[in-house]
Amino acid sequence: MVILTSLFKEIAVFLVLAYLFSKTPIFKLLQTNDFKFKNYLVLYVFFSSMAVIGTYLGESIEGVIVNNRIIAVMIAGLIGGPVLGLAVGITAGIHRYFLGGFNALPIAISAIVEGLFAGLVNQYFSKRRKHERVFDPDIAFATTLISEILQMAIIIAITRPIQESISLIKLIIVPMVISNSLGTALIMSLFKDQRLNYDKIGSTYSKQALRIAKRILGELSKGLNNNSAERIANILLEETSVGAVAITDRENILAFVGIGKDHHNPGSPIASDITKVSISENRIMFLDGKDECYQCPISEDCLLSSVLVVPMRIKDEVIGTIKLYGKKNKYFFKINEALGKGIAEIVGNQLLAARYEYQKNLLTRAELNLIQAQIKPHFLFNTINTIIAINRRNPEKAIELLIHLSNFFRKILKRNEDISTIKEELEHVNSYLEIEKVRLQNHLKINFDVDENLMDIKIPTFSFQPLVENAIKHGISNLLEKGELDIRIFRKDGCIQIDIEDNAGTFVENKDNPGLGVNIVDKRIKNLAGSEYGVKINCDSDIKTVATILLPAGGVA
Amino acid sequence: MNLNAIIIDDEYNAREEMEFLLKQTECINVLEKCSNAVEGIKAINSLHPDVIFLDIQLPGINGFNLLSMIDVSVLPRVVFVTAYDEYALEAFENDAIDYLLKPVDKLRLEKTIDKIKNSILQNSNQKINLMPLTKIPSVGANKVKLIDVNCIEYVHSDETGVFIICADKKYFTVITLKVFESRTKLFRCHKQYLINPDKIDEIIFDENSAGKIKTTSQHLIPISRHYLKELKEELGI
Repeated sequence: MVILTSLFKEIAVFLVLAYLFSKTPIFKLLQTNDFKFKNYLVLYVFFSSMAVIGTYLGESIEGVIVNNRIIAVMIAGLIGGPVLGLAVGITAGIHRYFLGGFNALPIAISAIVEGLFAGLVNQYFSKRRKHERVFDPDIAFATTLISEILQMAIIIAITRPIQESISLIKLIIVPMVISNSLGTALIMSLFKDQRLNYDKIGSTYSKQALRIAKRILGELSKGLNNNSAERIANILLEETSVGAVAITDRENILAFVGIGKDHHNPGSPIASDITKVSISENRIMFLDGKDECYQCPISEDCLLSSVLVVPMRIKDEVIGTIKLYGKKNKYFFKINEALGKGIAEIVGNQLLAARYEYQKNLLTRAELNLIQAQIKPHFLFNTINTIIAINRRNPEKAIELLIHLSNFFRKILKRNEDISTIKEELEHVNSYLEIEKVRLQNHLKINFDVDENLMDIKIPTFSFQPLVENAIKHGISNLLEKGELDIRIFRKDGCIQIDIEDNAGTFVENKDNPGLGVNIVDKRIKNLAGSEYGVKINCDSDIKTVATILLPAGGVA
Repeated sequence: MNLNAIIIDDEYNAREEMEFLLKQTECINVLEKCSNAVEGIKAINSLHPDVIFLDIQLPGINGFNLLSMIDVSVLPRVVFVTAYDEYALEAFENDAIDYLLKPVDKLRLEKTIDKIKNSILQNSNQKINLMPLTKIPSVGANKVKLIDVNCIEYVHSDETGVFIICADKKYFTVITLKVFESRTKLFRCHKQYLINPDKIDEIIFDENSAGKIKTTSQHLIPISRHYLKELKEELGI
């Protein structure tokens, strides 16, 4: 009992020392895992001193110094690996040896062996990329327990006469094993807490994060493109201590700034697998540059060795990544991970907001367009004029046309439904075509080839008519001979395809005037069904123009 | 006073209706109804009407463009007819005697006819702002093709019509040489030839005639004495 009390006193002293140590800048070295020779030296001096102090603090009981020296050796080995463990073990052992005593040699040897053993435990975890585990109190406890039993074995093996060593061991085994194991575990637990604290200092970085957030806001109002990506990357590079920053979309590098920008070119496709994994698995990827190194896939001489890849998400859809790179031999702070995550989230939210805003605008524009483009005054007045002319010769035909005109406008004025069925769309287009047929004086032949099973498929309202109108206005009406319009609706490759084909082949892409007609239809479908759907126009010059609507197999939601 | 008119509108029924209304006025004689700009230009050049009723929205070449393709000396009085006043037609008031909205009101049309008659009686000129020509219409197999002026090497006329010669192709057009001369950078080097100065490769002078122009794609164009001086001035030689 006396022994145990004494040992615990000693542990208390160690804990105080360890606590003080954890407050010094030296502890930061543990934080960084950055073990250069100089750092090793500092740790060696510290732990060796601790071991020597341990020896002196020990209580001499029946010629044996019962002490907690070994705690310092264990921690040195666990934290610093075999070399440090061995070095501290040798120092502590030699020191103990020269203090004399009948068991000086076995104890000195066991100090060395135990230091090495703890170091090997460190190596075991490092190799398995679980370096963090050495800070676990239970690992520390178990390691010390085994070491102490090892020590007892060494003492028995070396000390003669054997009876004496056995009686000694009987006396000290329980207090030594318990106190040392417990002590190592306690100090490790303290270190671990301090390390966590250190990471939590990240919260003091929240100011920095806020500043970054503030700078990023507004950069994304027009979405993520090469320009906004580059500005954001520059902000991140300026505000953080990382070596380089990259921003990618799902396929390409949008921006790269910092070290290595000479060979990481914006616009080129994503080269590193880690980024591809991050995108495909929607996962944060981290290569810390120590246990796992980032190897630049483009240049072997690239100075970057650590990387954090954070996927940017809009809702659950990964739209790209933010990549923070660390330079070789520079510890990549874990704090950057939290920061990277935060930034990715801000970017995601901003993009969501921008997309929402865009959709809202699109909707307003679409609505305006529907009013202006669907109720085309030209169309209305020309049709009325046509009806007046026809009425003079053929009042019956004039009445028929008036009915078609009524149907056409009734549908447009009943604009409260965003989604229609293909059948409704066809009826609408049909009214339109009946009028156009009369206006174009049999200049127009229309062929329908429609899969009747698809009549109930849902499609954004007014998807057909702008395409048909385009085919007539910009296609067939330019023809001096008969125009032919083919409307085909069918299933293909698990999608629904709608072709509107004219035989003029006079389609010209109008880059100055996007957002009208076809463009609106395309965007509405993409917004509702996804970017793989929408409208495509293929023009075989002077032969035909085909506008193709691609819809999901089940139509739009 | 009876007036000769041409109606230009791409829609059959609209032409019929306009003709019907004009006949009712009993002072308009409809010479021709045209469904596109090319037909219109052709008819104006050959029939010399007093007035044209011109729809603005025509396929390919609109009404405004059509006017810039007519030689001023044969340019008739112009009445724009359109379904919808999206062009703010007041802005073109100087360019036309009047403008009418479809469907056309009989009483409104009578006012227009009065205006035309007054204009002719007073012999007042229309001040039409004619735009320079950048695209030249050519009638192809089944549609009107528009040819960029910059592609033209030279233009040539003979008894069969006017032809545009580009590096690789020859097109027929209804635009007269006079119009080319006044609205494009092409200039005359011969009674029947206009040359694009940007396409001159070489000028060859010989003793017998005034000379020849070799174009960038090696076409040879005659120069006549009559235009030699002007040509030299134009080219600064």
